[in-house]
Amino acid sequence: MIKLFFALIGILIGAIIGFILPFTYNTSYSLYISVAILACLDSVFGGIRSNLENNFNINIFISGFFGNAALAAFLAYLGDRLGVPLYYAAIFTFGGRLFENFAKIRRNLLFKRKESK
Amino acid sequence: MVKKNNPKIILTLFSIIVGIFIATQIKMKLEIYAPVTVKSLQMTKAEIASINNKISELNKIIKLKEEELELLENIAKGDDNIIDILQQDIKYNKLHSGQTSLKGPGIIITMYDNPEDRTIGFDLNDDVIHDIDILNIINDLRIAGAEAISINGERVIATSEIKCAGPTIRINGRSSATPFVIKAIGDPKLLYASVNAPGTYGDILKIYDIGFETTVEDSLFIPAYTGVFNFKYAKPLGKGD
Repeated sequence: MIKLFFALIGILIGAIIGFILPFTYNTSYSLYISVAILACLDSVFGGIRSNLENNFNINIFISGFFGNAALAAFLAYLGDRLGVPLYYAAIFTFGGRLFENFAKIRRNLLFKRKESK
Repeated sequence: MVKKNNPKIILTLFSIIVGIFIATQIKMKLEIYAPVTVKSLQMTKAEIASINNKISELNKIIKLKEEELELLENIAKGDDNIIDILQQDIKYNKLHSGQTSLKGPGIIITMYDNPEDRTIGFDLNDDVIHDIDILNIINDLRIAGAEAISINGERVIATSEIKCAGPTIRINGRSSATPFVIKAIGDPKLLYASVNAPGTYGDILKIYDIGFETTVEDSLFIPAYTGVFNFKYAKPLGKGD
């Protein structure tokens, strides 16, 4: 269980830092940032899963973290310019993968516990 | 040991980054989650512009009404004579209903049927001026800001009909025949352009070899409408001004 909690703790610490920091950005970017956050969350979940499966690779994780976020934000921006809500693509993909990763994490944790019992 | 801890530390670090972004996003207190598209921005801009237009128009009306109020107050005080004001009113109304002769700069258009023996196309109708040609020309002139228009000495007012009547055209119940002399008072340059610029109706008429001559005049005389207004069905609504 501890393996799952450090991500949650990290997010909590980050949230506290974020609330304390006076840093804000232009409201018009909020859509891009929120899609990017979704992509980052997906990457973190993927990282937890691969960590549980013991095939964690730093390079893949970091490139996925930044690459997915950038691509998601870029899709949202491009969709805005073209008048097509392309950010839906990012939302569906990363949202779906988020649950997929979470399901795998759950199974991993539950089965491991059974085995240890 | 370090290598084993690496994933956890990195995951924690990146989780912190995600947390910071989430917190900033929450801090913004976004009420509308709909994306601001370029289209919606433009629509809002257009809305603002139209509302501003309305406001300025309403301000103009307020000014007018204030002036009217001042006038009425002056009448009540006895400073102005009511007869003078009413006569001014009559003058103003007659001017706008076309019951006064007018003078001013403008253009004269002379239109006549195709004078050549040869005809363009197969239909003889293409070589003759029709009521619709006159109507289109008059409409173009009005778009260009013509203040008064007459055809063959017949003043064209709001209720004037322009009707095909065999080889002639009926205006205000009187027939007139070709050549048609259309006089219009307004900005001569604008009026001239409105019927002579490429692509305008007047320009197209020339393709059909229909006589179409435009002259700019410094001083034009346009006669008054001599008919009688007779409203049988329309009744004024409300008190009016």
